[in-house]
Amino acid sequence: MTRHQKKHWVLQVCRQLTRLTVLALVVTIVYLSLYAHYRAAKAMEDEQFLDGVNGTVLKRIDQHVSEMEEPQAFLDDYKGTLWSMRVAGVDVADPLAAAEMTATSKAIHWPLLLSIVIPVGITVLLGRVFCSWMCPAGLLFEWAQGLRRLLRLAEIKPGNVRFSHHNKYVLLSVGLLMGLIFGLPTFALIYPPAVLSRLTHAVIFGTAFTGMVVVLGVMLAVEVFVSPRWWCRTMCAGGALYALLSWARPVRVKLLRSKCTGCRDCEPVCPMGIYPVAKSNSIECDNCGLCLRHCPDDALVFSIGLPGERGRSRDHKSPTRNKSTLAKTASVLAFTLTMLWSSSANAHHILGLPHYSYKENYPQAPTLEYPATTGPYDLVMTSYPGKPVPGESANVAFYIKDRNTLAPYAQQVKVRLIQTSTFGSNKVLVPPTTVDAFDKTHKISMVFPDEGEYIVELTMDVEGQTEVIPFLVVAGDPTATASVLIVIGVGMVGFIVIVRAIKIKRARRDAQRNGESSSAPPVVA
Amino acid sequence: MKRRDFIKNTLATAATVGCAAALGPLGMPGAPSPTNAAVPLRPPGALDEDDFLSRCIRCMRCIDACPNNTIVPLDDGFGEETQSTPAIKARRQACMLCQGVEGEYLKCGEACPTGALEPVRKNAQDIQEKVDMGTAEIDFELCYSYNNWSCGACFRACPFPGQAMTIGMWERPQVNPDFCIGCGLCERACIRYPQAVRVKPKSERGQTPARKPAPMPKPRWGAES
Repeated sequence: MTRHQKKHWVLQVCRQLTRLTVLALVVTIVYLSLYAHYRAAKAMEDEQFLDGVNGTVLKRIDQHVSEMEEPQAFLDDYKGTLWSMRVAGVDVADPLAAAEMTATSKAIHWPLLLSIVIPVGITVLLGRVFCSWMCPAGLLFEWAQGLRRLLRLAEIKPGNVRFSHHNKYVLLSVGLLMGLIFGLPTFALIYPPAVLSRLTHAVIFGTAFTGMVVVLGVMLAVEVFVSPRWWCRTMCAGGALYALLSWARPVRVKLLRSKCTGCRDCEPVCPMGIYPVAKSNSIECDNCGLCLRHCPDDALVFSIGLPGERGRSRDHKSPTRNKSTLAKTASVLAFTLTMLWSSSANAHHILGLPHYSYKENYPQAPTLEYPATTGPYDLVMTSYPGKPVPGESANVAFYIKDRNTLAPYAQQVKVRLIQTSTFGSNKVLVPPTTVDAFDKTHKISMVFPDEGEYIVELTMDVEGQTEVIPFLVVAGDPTATASVLIVIGVGMVGFIVIVRAIKIKRARRDAQRNGESSSAPPVVA
Repeated sequence: MKRRDFIKNTLATAATVGCAAALGPLGMPGAPSPTNAAVPLRPPGALDEDDFLSRCIRCMRCIDACPNNTIVPLDDGFGEETQSTPAIKARRQACMLCQGVEGEYLKCGEACPTGALEPVRKNAQDIQEKVDMGTAEIDFELCYSYNNWSCGACFRACPFPGQAMTIGMWERPQVNPDFCIGCGLCERACIRYPQAVRVKPKSERGQTPARKPAPMPKPRWGAES
């Protein structure tokens, strides 16, 4: 390793550390927010709320934060996700978030635009460093390349389809235009750093996150099976915006033509899939510095120069320049259109002082409600506890009300409980039971024996006709059962893949051995 | 080869745009949510539903900022376009209007980076002026106080007692829509289930066809079996 390479090896270590720091920051901010909730609810004083991983982390945070002079002011300074975040009291937002929000709302919101000043400034000066030095999704996708090696080990050939770098500019312009037309955001739902950091939030706060896992899973599947670094290179609208902003960056990779021997060692290591010797000036370059690290001739260096100076090394003119201009111009146009379409919003400030107070918080248990309608009746089924606990009795109440007269239904109804089954037939647990109206509702107590899905079936008389209304009730957490099934399925597929890989490897070895012993052509099993 | 590349890239981009649009603007309406509301109850200071959805960037900052853990990100019960947007499920936790918390503004509006939630000062006048999450509605058939028991839990929970909610003989509550801001504290406090008082989100007001307000029941003196 030459001195030059050693220096850039350190640079790469710094890059990975910066990324891990950003990831740690995202996780820490979520935990600080969770801690703020616990603190406000005075739950830090009660051991029963502090179990598991979250409890341990929260206790740790409590040790440090409670010693501060103004803990609440400190906590208020850390909020949000990578899409828009408050760090140490400074608002920072992704430029794509600001662009998209401006498009969807057609209004310019100055606080949001001010919060993109720092990221835009960094990009204009240092290039697309968000992609290479900060984005946690980039880290995820980089690690996913390891999975491709694993696939090769398992004798499955991962695809290597090359898509055009221009696609992301098309996606950026189409997305902004869709925002302008429909008034609803799309990038917020697919932009990987935003999704990943929202996923972290959902996991730690214990809210629903299946949708985000699906989005990231699909992207990862394409990365692993179809095209390496597909998203960052060719699809990321955020990357496209950063690339356009980095057009005049003073810090860029420079080729020392006198030293380059044309070995092309830098080509396969480039995460953005460009050939650094020919295209180090391209806006696709995210200044990650990997090519510097892998150049055996020390021919690639970082240079700092005024935007005008880069013209000197432009003799390697990209043959695709003209094609790409169209896509890039389109996204710049879409961006301009967004800004022109939007108008400034007004600020609202009125002064005053608080004069009343409410601190009581009732410990009222939540109830789940299942609405339905039939004929002139509005129905609502509630259960207490809100989510039935398997094996424990749950109170189920039906409230049936005439939509027009607002009178409750006073006749008898019949209720039946059926346990659904994924494999095999459904089981009737409670045979049709007659329930009288009591105090305006029809109440019945039931036991849901296992985790899983049940149907509570209500039979009632609607204007002389018998109507059957089914309500789907979930007891416990049946996803636990589903995840066991998924694990078994994945295990079986994995077993088949491994057996197949061993067979192929053995056949190849036998073929080689045959080839050595006799000159017969190798037989592929 | 050139044409093939063009088709390949166009297809890849179109597929990505299609999937993204299916998640967002062109998404299918979600499965009916296990609650009675057709639209979600938004945090205090929220713009009208359409404006709110176009402004909100789903950054979770209001959810982080809420001191009472009241605001939750929606799952797809209200349609794909509302995914991860903040909402209040009053029966789970209602908005306490940041009472007993330091600060000049309601925390969620202060945290919002896009103006989807307007900043609202923590005084009665500003809250009355700017906060309109919805209006509480009482089901007189279910309410204990109108059915021979005396309760009054909702009145005691109301942050504007005597204005947003008044109380009559046997603690029979009445909602004054001019003052009610839809914080949901009465819904949360109701001891009946299904609960007798619910907040109707403001965006539902425009959607439902004009209907006569529920007639006030006549006072029923004495027991009535």
